[in-house]
Parts: sequence; structure tokens; C-alpha cells
Amino acid sequence: MKDYRIIFEKKGISRYISHLDLNRCMLRAVRRSGLPAWYTEGFHPHLYLMFPLALSLGTESICEVMDFRLTEERPDEEILLKLNASLPSGLRAVSVHAPDKQAQDIGSAEYLVTLSAPDVPELNALWNAFLSQEQILTEKRTKKGMKEIDIKSLIDCKEIIEENQILSLRLVLPAGNDGNINVSVVTDAFQKYADKPFSVKSVCRMKIFCRNGEIFF
Amino acid sequence: MIPEKLEPFLLDVQKPSRYTGGEVGEVIKDKSRTAVRFAFCFPDIYDVGMSHLGMKILYSLINEREDYWCERVFAPWTDMEDVMRREQVLLYALESGDEIRNFDFIGFTLQYEMSYTNILNMLDLAGVPVLQKDRGEQIWPMVVAGGPCACNPEPLVDFFDLFILGEGEEVNLELMDLYRDMRDKGVSRSEFLKAAAQIPGIYVPSLYDVEYHEDGTVRSITVRENAPEKITKRVMTDMNQTYYPKYVVVPFLEIVHDRVSVEVLRGCIRGCRFCQAGFLYRPFREKSAEIVFQQGMALCENSGYDELSLSSLSTSDHSQIEEILDRLLEYTDKEHINLSLPSLRIDNFSKSVLDKVTTIRKSGLTFAPEAGTQRLRDVINKNVTEEEIMRTCQIAFEGGYTTVKLYFMMGLPTETDEDIIGIAELAQKVVNLFYDMPERAKGKLQVSISTATFVPKPFTPFQFEPQTEKAEILRKQSILKKAVKSKKIKVSMHVSDISQMEAVLARGDRRICAVLYDAWKSGCKLDSWDEFFDASKWYAAFEKNHLDPAFYANRTRSYEEITPWEHIDYLVSKKFLIRENQKAHEEQTTPPCREHCSGCGANQCLGRPCF
Repeated sequence: MKDYRIIFEKKGISRYISHLDLNRCMLRAVRRSGLPAWYTEGFHPHLYLMFPLALSLGTESICEVMDFRLTEERPDEEILLKLNASLPSGLRAVSVHAPDKQAQDIGSAEYLVTLSAPDVPELNALWNAFLSQEQILTEKRTKKGMKEIDIKSLIDCKEIIEENQILSLRLVLPAGNDGNINVSVVTDAFQKYADKPFSVKSVCRMKIFCRNGEIFF
Repeated sequence: MIPEKLEPFLLDVQKPSRYTGGEVGEVIKDKSRTAVRFAFCFPDIYDVGMSHLGMKILYSLINEREDYWCERVFAPWTDMEDVMRREQVLLYALESGDEIRNFDFIGFTLQYEMSYTNILNMLDLAGVPVLQKDRGEQIWPMVVAGGPCACNPEPLVDFFDLFILGEGEEVNLELMDLYRDMRDKGVSRSEFLKAAAQIPGIYVPSLYDVEYHEDGTVRSITVRENAPEKITKRVMTDMNQTYYPKYVVVPFLEIVHDRVSVEVLRGCIRGCRFCQAGFLYRPFREKSAEIVFQQGMALCENSGYDELSLSSLSTSDHSQIEEILDRLLEYTDKEHINLSLPSLRIDNFSKSVLDKVTTIRKSGLTFAPEAGTQRLRDVINKNVTEEEIMRTCQIAFEGGYTTVKLYFMMGLPTETDEDIIGIAELAQKVVNLFYDMPERAKGKLQVSISTATFVPKPFTPFQFEPQTEKAEILRKQSILKKAVKSKKIKVSMHVSDISQMEAVLARGDRRICAVLYDAWKSGCKLDSWDEFFDASKWYAAFEKNHLDPAFYANRTRSYEEITPWEHIDYLVSKKFLIRENQKAHEEQTTPPCREHCSGCGANQCLGRPCF
């Protein structure tokens, strides 16, 4: 019996697969792959799969994580080859690791967000003004209903790039058990503040970090 | 593939993966190398349509031909329809993302009557003229339909070029081959239709004229252009040789029947007089245990599904059912696959079959006695006795089951209040049986009764019968409610004008086309969804066309009357249907085909007795 951690990409149309559906999709892919997957014991055995961090619908990623267990050890190359032969387009396993770090270690994630607008320099100026407010109040859905929170200290903007018609932002936001901020929370707040038309062209998760700043894999 | 114009709005709609394609198992081909493109349309949403076995068979069958490409199309949910209309995106096929109006064939499957307005809506969304007469002489798109409701296609003739009757495995390819030849020669739509009418099983309605008596019944159906007097459905005579897919498209989202299924047999030996499928799919033909095993295993391996169902009208009537279960269970146990048998019958539900099924999963049991008294069960030829129901429940209870669902129909021919009270009494006997068992299963018993309004259908012995009116159904429902005494019995009943519309569309004639068109124009769609069905719009459409729904739904038809589907031949003879109708009124049963042939006529396609 051996545990494996798979890092996989979720790109293209596969970003429209919801978290619940992704679980089912991976389950079938593992079954099709012919890898000797481990099933839970008990009355209704099921294939054991674990996703330490969910990804919101519509967001792409190059660093998703899935844990599973095989009844016997297999070379990493074989696992990648067999998984990729059975995955739908857009999902691609990129590397295999030992699952040393725990899901609770996850602290933040980095996203590449592209916004398109007719006047990109103007949008850039607005973005900077948005970030330099004293506080950025926004509504967040919690288990107890809508709650107003200040997200100013939670947004870490690492980089801003102006291209023609596109403003790219590299954002690091809290992720994991202790509080998760979706990119849409930030872009919705910015939309409200800017009061100028722009559209979110794409969002891609680039990295997942541990609380101590190490990359999670 | 999603059209570029739609992509920015995908996150504004529910379940976007309904609209993207890209699933494992979808077939992508090089457009420049395909000679004929077929848009297989299911007139309901993805979640429903993707559960349909017939579509899976024909999709793979057509795609086995290198130069033909079959793609899937479903009705968008209203949120997506709004986006498509607003952004002016035409209905597209999921595989290529191409607009289906440029396809060679647009083919609909007719599974239930209340999907008909969706067909009109989908044609409109596709930018294809909804009425056949407006499509001009260009040969494509050829708008065609098949499936069980094609047995009376008359309420749809204004919208289709042709109908495919019976089983499609051979005739679909024959039709596509003929189309390819004639299109390459540059012939017109009407020329092609004349030629297509010569293929057995193809019905071209524009080649038939219908006249009516003053009372509204059909006077005559006249043929033109050498089309056949009778159009006979197609049948695959050897199920072991009939194509069955080795792979299926595996959806991302959870669909209604989220499993792979292997068809174990076609037809039914039972002859329940209300059941249209039981007559339409005759004669009875089985696959061998070996073939069932091979096909089931291939589907599981290629799809990754962990549930396999054995599909048919009555799986336990397969002569080798135990052998099938033994072989499959050996495989499914090892591979952690659930085996489900949705169509078991009460009377031959043996202990050993139950034991086999319960090794996998224990869920509720569902029985369909259909009627509350033996007298009425004899009328409808549901050859199930109360003893058998009790014996089966006992086996089930001993096996640890504690929930039993009982399905009944209301408004059956000859039904009296006594028959309705019999429903409650039967359920009570099941409750008593449970509590009288010394070693009953732990847990609480729940017996639920669910009733549906009977809808008379063509090609059944009850095609002559009137449907019971809504007020009378309501009265019967209140009788049932009063008759149920135990708290262990839950009754769920439902009444709606949908049943009457279903009855009209099932036995309607060509004049119903105008009603359907006006109903759709006034906003009717997704009628099988309670939240969308709007009876007032339907009744307004009848009024506008000076037609009375009661004429179609609630009238007794004489044996001599020419039915709107008189020229359609499903092998089961009208003489047989009349004989069965008479026996029903005499409370006489007819034995299952395996015991005694009742001479329905379906075996003429086999050229031998069925058994």
C-alpha cells in the first residue's frame, strides 16, 4: 500500500467541472487507468480520493492537488502515463509526490487574474487607488449568512502588468481551512469601487503555499 | 466545444458543463473528411437526455462509420436559452460547437409526448424553420424523428420531413447512405423524400392525405407518389448480432440515470393492456448470457463507471437471468461495481435472485401492482396475484428490506370505488405482514403508495378507451386518502392537466399540429417540468383552433373508427388489440407469451414462433 500525491492542471473547458463533479470525474479516470487503486474497507467500499483544496468553478489551475492510494507501489512515470491516458481534455497530471505536507498546512494561494477594459492605464490607476484605501469592505458569504469583512490586509498584489487591452494581476490570497478568499470576492469589490466597465477574462491558480511560505505539494 | 460567443456567459448559468462537451468518450472527427453530419437531438435537458440508452446506441453506431459524424444536442435550460437568444447564438452540437442548421440531418428522439414543444423550440433556437413547408428545396437539413412516440407521429407531421419507425440500428444507416448518394447528385428535398419513402420503416407524411368526417373522426388516409399503403416498423431479429456500443460518453455532471446499462432483452412477454412499450417493442428477443456479460464488462472498463444496470422492460423474464447474474456478479464484486436491476417483476422475483442482488446493495423495493383489486388487475392483464405480492414482500422483509413502494394507476377502464379502496387495503396487508413476522428486520417500516393517472396509448388494447376526467380523478383520490388508516402508509398523489394533454398528443391527429404550434408560440416549453407546464396556454391553443381536447382524450372510440395512425404498422394487429380489449371488459386474462402464443402478429418479422 502506498500513498501518492498528484499535482494536476485544470485548464480549458475542464474549469467548468464543479468540485463535486471533479471528484466523480477523477474517480472514473483512476478506475479506467487500470492502476491498482485502494478501496476503503467496510460495508460500502469506495475508492479513496482526497482533494486538500477546492477550486472555484470557472477558475483554471496549474497546481491542483489530489491524494490517492495504491495497493502496491508503482513508478511515478507509470502513474502519470496511465492517468493522463484516461483524463478528459484540460485535466493533466504533471507530477507525483509523497504526501508529506498536510491539508491543514495550506495557508495561501497565488492567482494570475487578467482583466480586460477599453482603457487599461485608467483601470490600472483605479486598481492602485482601490488597494490604497484605508479599508476594503465587502460582503462575504459565511455559514451564518452574509457578513461584512475588511479584505484590505488579505490582498497581497505581487505584480501588475499592462498589456494591450489587458491588465494582469498576480494576487496572493488566503486559502485553506482558516479562511479562504475567492478571487471573485476581490474582483467584485473592485468592480463596485471602479464603477467602470471591465471584465474578468481569466483566473488561474498558479501556486499553493504552506503557512510557512513553502510551496505545497 | 462551446461557441466563443457563449463562453463569457458560462458562469452565469447553472451547471455549465451541460454546454461544453469535452467529456471522455465523445467522438471528435475531422469535418473535412466527413460526408454526412447527423445532429442527434434529445428534446429535453442534458441531464435527462444523457441518460437515454437509445441515443447511446445510435450515437456510437453512426460514429463507427468513418465518414459519418453523429453529435449530441440537448435543450438548454431556460437560463442558457435566455443567454443564447440575447447573444444571438444558434443551437450547436456539443462535439464540434457548430450550428446544427448546417448539418445534413437533425434527428429527434420522441420518448414522451410532453417533450414535443421542446422540439419546436430547439428548431427555432437552431435557426431552422419550424414548419416543414418553409424549409424549401435544399436537401439539408433533413429534419427526422424516431423513438416510441413515432408510432403515432400525426401530431408532429407539420414539423418533420420524415419519421423512422421501429428500431434504428439498420434503417438509420440505410437512410444516411441514400441521402449521401442523392445529395451528391444534387436532388431536391422533395425528390429525396419520395425516394426515402421506399425504404422499409420510413414514413414521409407529406405523401399521405388525411380527410375527416364531420364529427371530427378520420374518414380516409390516401397515399400519393407510390409510397407504401402501410409503413411497417423495423425490427432487429437477432439481438446477439445487433450492434451494441463498447463505450459511452461519460458526463461530468450527475445525470438522472448515472450508470452504464446493458440491454438484456427487447420486447415483453407480459401483455399488460395499458403498457404501450409492451406492445411497441414486440417480439420478445433475448441476448445470450455470454453476450450480456461481455457487453456489460466492456462498458464498465471503458467508462470507469461503478454502477452497471441490466436494462429491459422486464429483466427477470430473461430465461438465463441466474446465469447472467452469477457471471456478472463475479466480475462486479471484484471490481467494486454495483449491479442494479431496475425492472424486476413481483411474480418471478425468486429468493435466489434477491440474494444475488442484495450482496451488493440494500435499497428500497419497488412494486407496481397497478390496480388495487384482483378483478381490475385481471382487466388490465397485470398477471400478479395478491398472494404473489405478499410472498415477495415476505422474501424482501426476510432479506432485511423495510421500505416498499407500491405504484398504482387511477382511471383505468372499468374502475370502481371498490378498486380504489382496494389500493389502501393492499397496502395495509403489506403493513400487517411485516408486523406479523416474528423475526422481522430491524428498523421502521414504510410503505408508500404512489398513483398516476392512466393515459390510453396507441397500439394498446386500451387505445379505444376514454381517459377519466380530472374531476373524477380528484374524487377517487379523496376516496383513497380516506381509506388509508395506517401511519406507516404514505400516499403521494398528483393531479394535473398534463395527463390530459399527454392523452391528446398520444392519440391526436394532424389537426393537433396547429395546437402544438400555437401552444409553443404562446410560450409553452419544458412541459414535463411541473414548474413550466401552463395548462391555460394549452387550452387557449385548442380554442384558437376550434378543437376540443376531450374529443381526443375522453371519448370512447369504436373498433371500426379509422385511427389517425391506421397506416402505421407496428406488427401487432388491430384484430388482436380488439380481442384483448374485449377480454378486458370480460375480466379475462391472457397468459404470458412464453406460456401460450396469443397471436398478436409480431412474430411475422421473425418468420417463426417467438418461443
